Amino acid sequence: MIHLPKDETKAMVAVHGWSGILLGLLLYAVVLTGTAAVFAEEIGTWSAGHMSNQSAFERPVGAVLQKLGAETPAKYHEGVDLFEVDDHDLGIFFHRHEMEGGKLISRGIFYTIAKDGRVANRQAATDEDVFGARNDNALSAFLVDTHVRLHLPNPWGLLLTGMVGLSMLIAAVSGLLIHRHLFKDIFTLRHHANPVLVNRDKHSVAGTWSLPFAFILAFTGSFFSFFGTVGVPIVAMAAFGGNQQVLQETVFGNPGKPDPRPAAIGNFDRISSDALARAGSAPTFVAIENFGRADAKVTTYHAPKNDAIAPVTLLYNGALARFERIKPLIGPRPSTGGALAALMYPLHFGNFAGLVSKAIWFGLGFAMCYVTYTGLCLWLSRRQNAPRSLVWLERMNMVVGLGLPFALASSAAAFLITMPLRTAIWWTPAGFLIGAAVTIVAGCVAPTIARLSWMLRFGTGMMMILLPLLRILSGGPCWSAAMATQQPVIISLDIAFILAGGWILARLRARQPFDRLMTLQAAE
Amino acid sequence: MSPRSRRWIRIALAGPGAILVALVVMAGMALWLPGGSAGIDNIVLPLILVPLIWTGLFFHACLDRRLARVAFISVGLFLVHAGLIAHKFFDAPPASAETRP
Repeated sequence: MIHLPKDETKAMVAVHGWSGILLGLLLYAVVLTGTAAVFAEEIGTWSAGHMSNQSAFERPVGAVLQKLGAETPAKYHEGVDLFEVDDHDLGIFFHRHEMEGGKLISRGIFYTIAKDGRVANRQAATDEDVFGARNDNALSAFLVDTHVRLHLPNPWGLLLTGMVGLSMLIAAVSGLLIHRHLFKDIFTLRHHANPVLVNRDKHSVAGTWSLPFAFILAFTGSFFSFFGTVGVPIVAMAAFGGNQQVLQETVFGNPGKPDPRPAAIGNFDRISSDALARAGSAPTFVAIENFGRADAKVTTYHAPKNDAIAPVTLLYNGALARFERIKPLIGPRPSTGGALAALMYPLHFGNFAGLVSKAIWFGLGFAMCYVTYTGLCLWLSRRQNAPRSLVWLERMNMVVGLGLPFALASSAAAFLITMPLRTAIWWTPAGFLIGAAVTIVAGCVAPTIARLSWMLRFGTGMMMILLPLLRILSGGPCWSAAMATQQPVIISLDIAFILAGGWILARLRARQPFDRLMTLQAAE
Repeated sequence: MSPRSRRWIRIALAGPGAILVALVVMAGMALWLPGGSAGIDNIVLPLILVPLIWTGLFFHACLDRRLARVAFISVGLFLVHAGLIAHKFFDAPPASAETRP
């Protein structure tokens, strides 16, 4: 327990309130989309109706890789990235690193290999094209992009979400400092007290339980936002005279004596199967350095093993297709910095224990959304009798708080309708904007704030119930087909959407629809 | 100094001041931290720690009653690390790919 003097406690209460108010609505948007993005992979499978279960790295691809290597200009042999695209097809990106506008980019030729080994697509591309949204993953990419940079151009979006992360860090620490009875508050939930106290208790309990989680998310999130935008250029300037490429090679590369003699890449299929046996799962990503040279290195990246938090990374001699060693995710050898940096990924994404950890991260993320939203409501209700009216802010709070889920459901609906037409990349964000516009108009024309709340929750509930139907009507797999191909995630998400929509509508019926449900009153 | 002026100085130290000092400390740390067994700790640790450094400076500026001490620590950290960076640029050959052992 931390007992601050009265003046400092007052200062911390002010800091806690203003950190939420200044960036609270953005924080809510970032946390809500991040909560959904915990299941981005599953949402991608569900929305695109992926039916394949076999990893692209479990199929023979070595011969195709060699053939494409021979066809691709040698200037793009500096690096080759291999990863899954679409429904377990394989993407192969031959590239080299370049500086463009002060930014390090990869440029080269990108191939898509279908399941039958045929080259389905070949295009000149940069890393932005290769790792950006595609028609079949437009929905999950939209969620991730909203969470990561709010669709603002780089670096501004990342800087903004980084600032939002710092404000969350402030809110979490100041929230801890102003709790006079932390352990009592964790368990204090007065169901039969007056609504004012009940609402404040809910905010306090949800906030207290999710405090460590909020701290971890804010810390790791701001680390990711500032890493490439501010951190790498500044540290590269100080340590390497501004050469970011040298920094990247030092931190992520595999140092060794250069050997530029030509040498064909070894048996890649042997590397794949060996990596699968050692890591217990197929690679999620493979990077080849110096393709076609005697010093070629192959690094395979895998999900964490069952009893571990950090991901598995294996290093192979590329020319000989021979296993060399288990490699830290960052740095050539195990180190404190590498271990800490490797922990940032699973701690932020919650993917270290499969669906269980993802479900916990989702639940805690949802609690954070609740805390952010009700915190804003509390701040506003304390100022209900202020000389200057804050009704506009109360409406805006509701438009964002309840309108964002509606707009996200709209973007999902737009994706499901337009994916078969191959226009989902454009229509998914357009669907979100249409949903947001409807919400804003409703916010302007609704006669009362309670009516607005009712409309938004009704719309969100209905939209969520309709999503599974839309998915099937637009050509997605039905439940029997999903069962037959062992894709329970499709059925699970259908049920989750129906239950969530039903719960929202049921709560609508259970209460007086015109009550000011989410508008709290001052507790003090 | 009036309470109003003290308040604004505190806000400046907690906000833009803390950001500036945290960034300079991050850059300077890369020059004095040991590289560790992999030779990357001096590069990676400042990148990881910068949000925590900023948070520490922010709350120190908010909670320490002695404003002079807040200013002294912030300015001291800034000068030490800025001095290290300046020393590196003026005395060492540029664009070297050096890492600390």
